[in-house]
Amino acid sequence: MLIDSVIIVLREVIAVAFLASVLLALAYYLRMPAPGLRATTALGLVAALLFDVFVRALFDRFDGFGYELATVALDALIWMTLLAVIAVLAITPKRPQARAVLARLMSAALLLAITREGSEILVYFSSLSGQEDAISDALTGAVIGVGVGFSAGTLFYYLQLAQRPDAALRTGAILLALIGSGICAQGSLLLIQADLLPAQTPLWDSSDWVQESSPLGQLLYALIGYEATPSPLMVGVWLGSMAIALSAALGGRHLAGRRVAGVEGHAHDPRRRP
Amino acid sequence: MAIRQLTRPRTTWYRPRPVRCAAAALLLGTAAIANGAPPTLDIRLNNHLFEPSELDVPAHTQVRLRIENLDATPEEFVSWELNRKKLIPGNHTAILYVGPLAPGSYPFFGTFNPKTALGQLRVQ
Repeated sequence: MLIDSVIIVLREVIAVAFLASVLLALAYYLRMPAPGLRATTALGLVAALLFDVFVRALFDRFDGFGYELATVALDALIWMTLLAVIAVLAITPKRPQARAVLARLMSAALLLAITREGSEILVYFSSLSGQEDAISDALTGAVIGVGVGFSAGTLFYYLQLAQRPDAALRTGAILLALIGSGICAQGSLLLIQADLLPAQTPLWDSSDWVQESSPLGQLLYALIGYEATPSPLMVGVWLGSMAIALSAALGGRHLAGRRVAGVEGHAHDPRRRP
Repeated sequence: MAIRQLTRPRTTWYRPRPVRCAAAALLLGTAAIANGAPPTLDIRLNNHLFEPSELDVPAHTQVRLRIENLDATPEEFVSWELNRKKLIPGNHTAILYVGPLAPGSYPFFGTFNPKTALGQLRVQ
């Protein structure tokens, strides 16, 4: 039970931790207020509870595919928020007005991600009702899972701070695009299982290299939507969302009318601790 | 132990229960295919155990799985090989489509009870 709880909680927390590390690193490089983690986490958990109630209410509707539709709707919200972050990043991140918008978008993206992953953790704990002897092990495992996920996110945050300032925004945008594409790909899988998108023969099978059930496979699934046997449709959705994210970045730069200058590197050395 | 389970080859970590419904599944499949609709296979989740735990499925055919959760607590039906994941609230029935599948074994499990809620589709 302890190990199961660690794995279940870690799988959900690590996706949020990596998104949070990317957003916090961007906020650091742009010298803007970081998304308030404590407030966002608290609000996110409340939203996760509400989302779970919403999914249960919808479960039997839409020919029994209310769960898929509700989850895909949330995934779409997250993806659009990440696209907006990428677009505003490309516009003029150093302008105060754009920074205020960017801060709100970052908080919204984090809130939605916590809602998405937090609802699964809450459902897991609700599955333990009536098993008093298992709850203490599950709670201990959850604390360990959160700790490991938080540590991984922190490590990734400092890895991003080690890069050159002029590459920071580009790297952050690419990472956000990868995360968004993974979410889109996972959403397409839900629609395929609901028979709302056509089922197809897998394009390839990479399970000999990285099995989905392995720790690396599950990590890649959480981060970029890795599937060992993706269908052509799923690959198309992933590539399409990356292309849309690139268009959002290029469109933002076009609106700005000038090249994104990046950070004022000479006045701000990210390798120094604040 | 769970990590060892995750890294064990998929054909060895699953221990099947003796209950099977191969003939029923194939008959359902034949009838449904004749009508043009995907065949429906029923699975019950009772006391965190899938019943039946093994189902025979025709190859290269889309199949509709109907999973009835008889427990009061939720379970998450997951199969990495099938690329399927669905949360099933307690006392609810979930429906999802799988396939068309190539011949082989496709294990599935319940995330919240991975040691007991185990099963597999045998595609042939």
